[in-house]
This record gives sequence, C-alpha cells and structure tokens, in this order.
Amino acid sequence: MSIRVGEELPDLVKNPTTRQLVQYAGAQGDFYEIHYDQAYAQRVALPGVILHGLLKAAFLGQLVTDWLGDRGTLKTFDVSYRGVDMPGHPYRCRGRVTSVEGYDVELEVWGEDEAGKRTTVGTATARLRD
Amino acid sequence: MTTTTAVIDRLRSRIGAEGPPVTAVVEAGHVRRFAEAIGDSNPRWTREAPPTFLVALAPVSLHLAEAEEYGHGWLNGGNRFEYFAPVMVGDEITATGRIADVYEKSGSTGTLLFIVFDTGYVNQRGELVARLRGTTIRR
Repeated sequence: MSIRVGEELPDLVKNPTTRQLVQYAGAQGDFYEIHYDQAYAQRVALPGVILHGLLKAAFLGQLVTDWLGDRGTLKTFDVSYRGVDMPGHPYRCRGRVTSVEGYDVELEVWGEDEAGKRTTVGTATARLRD
Repeated sequence: MTTTTAVIDRLRSRIGAEGPPVTAVVEAGHVRRFAEAIGDSNPRWTREAPPTFLVALAPVSLHLAEAEEYGHGWLNGGNRFEYFAPVMVGDEITATGRIADVYEKSGSTGTLLFIVFDTGYVNQRGELVARLRGTTIRR
C-alpha cells in the first residue's frame, strides 16, 4: 500500500501512571524527583509529578514504528516539549504524512492532552525500502 | 544579576569540550525493561533497540551541577535523533557528548537558561549509529 501526503497515522493512546513513571525512571536511569516525588515537584513550582519528556518521545516513537513497520527505516526523529503532562490522564499520540518524495517520507507527530492541547510536537523522516 | 552571568559565563567556556566517552553493551534485559516501561510490546525490540533507547544506554546530557545555581528546576526542552544504522542487542556502543550551546531566553515566567548537548553514538565496528541533540532548560 502506497503512502500518501495527508495520510493520518493510527492514534496511539497511552494511560501513564505514576507507577509507569517510576518504571521508566529506572529503565532510563533518570531519577530526577519531579517524576515521582509529589512534594518535590510542587516545591519546584510544578502542579505535581510530570511525565518525562523522553517518555513522551518514546510514545511518539512507538506511534511511528508501529505505523512504519518493516516498510522502511527511521532516519530522524525530533521532538519539542511544549507543556507538562501528568500521570492519571490519557495521552494521545497522533501523526500525519507531510511529504513523500521517492523513498523519503516526512511526518509530523504530536502528543495531545485530554483537552486536545499539543504538549509535544515533532517530526520524523523515514526512508522506504525498495 | 552578577551570579547568573557568572554561571552562564562558566558554562559557555565549556562549549565544544567533549565529555569522557561512555561505553555500554546493549543488553537484552535492559532493552526489554525499557520497552516494558514505555509500554511498547513490539517483538522487534527483542533484537533491536527502540528509537529512544540510546538515552538509557549512556546518559550523557547530564544535569550539570554548576548550572544548578541558576533557577530552581530542570526541564527537557527537546530531543533530536538522527539514525545511521540500527542498534542491535549485543552491540557495544560508545557515546561521546559535548556542550554545543548555552544561552538565556526570556519566557512568560521569567528568564530560562538553555543548555544544548550533542552526543554521538558509535558501535563496536566504529560505525556512527546515531546522533542526539538534547536541549535542557534551567528555570
């Protein structure tokens, strides 16, 4: 099946919990307290513990690799964090094809909170196989 | 503020300097724990590392102790990965990081300090497998 500009990636909805943040902290080796210690997070003027930016990036990475499968290879993946997200709320990962030139595909990807606010935005490029 | 300027000047003087290389083996168990933590059950991750795994293998965008004199907390601004070859379970990866840029910007809640780290990842065959640019913010 050919890939066309405007094609939307199937949404990937994650339901992160504080437990998952702890699990991710261990797996990544990032033990910054704002991801599991409520009192600490509030002391540094956050609403509470927040998701690791790189966990949101990993969710968006899965969005892309689930969609791409073995049709091609990820070449670049770029994410910017625009807002904080808290555990206990669904996190919706979305994406759309923005360019197809020969074997090169570009995507825009983003993560939305419950209100539909894009708290993570990014792009990915992939090279399709022959 | 004099202290703030001094912190920025000290950090800026380190732009371009490479940190010590960190070498680590891509272990099946570590990749599995990482995939479980992100909730990605793709069986591909039993052989290969998922796209953001390299940050777990050899964390190099360290929280610089000297930057902690600025503001009161860290935030991740963004991450840009470039991939040149797959990272497979069993690979031995050497990561080398450097500070690429340090600058201050005014935001809606006051000034922020941005620290940009570049990291290169090379496998056991000497192939550059990926590059990562990470922007870390002190607020």
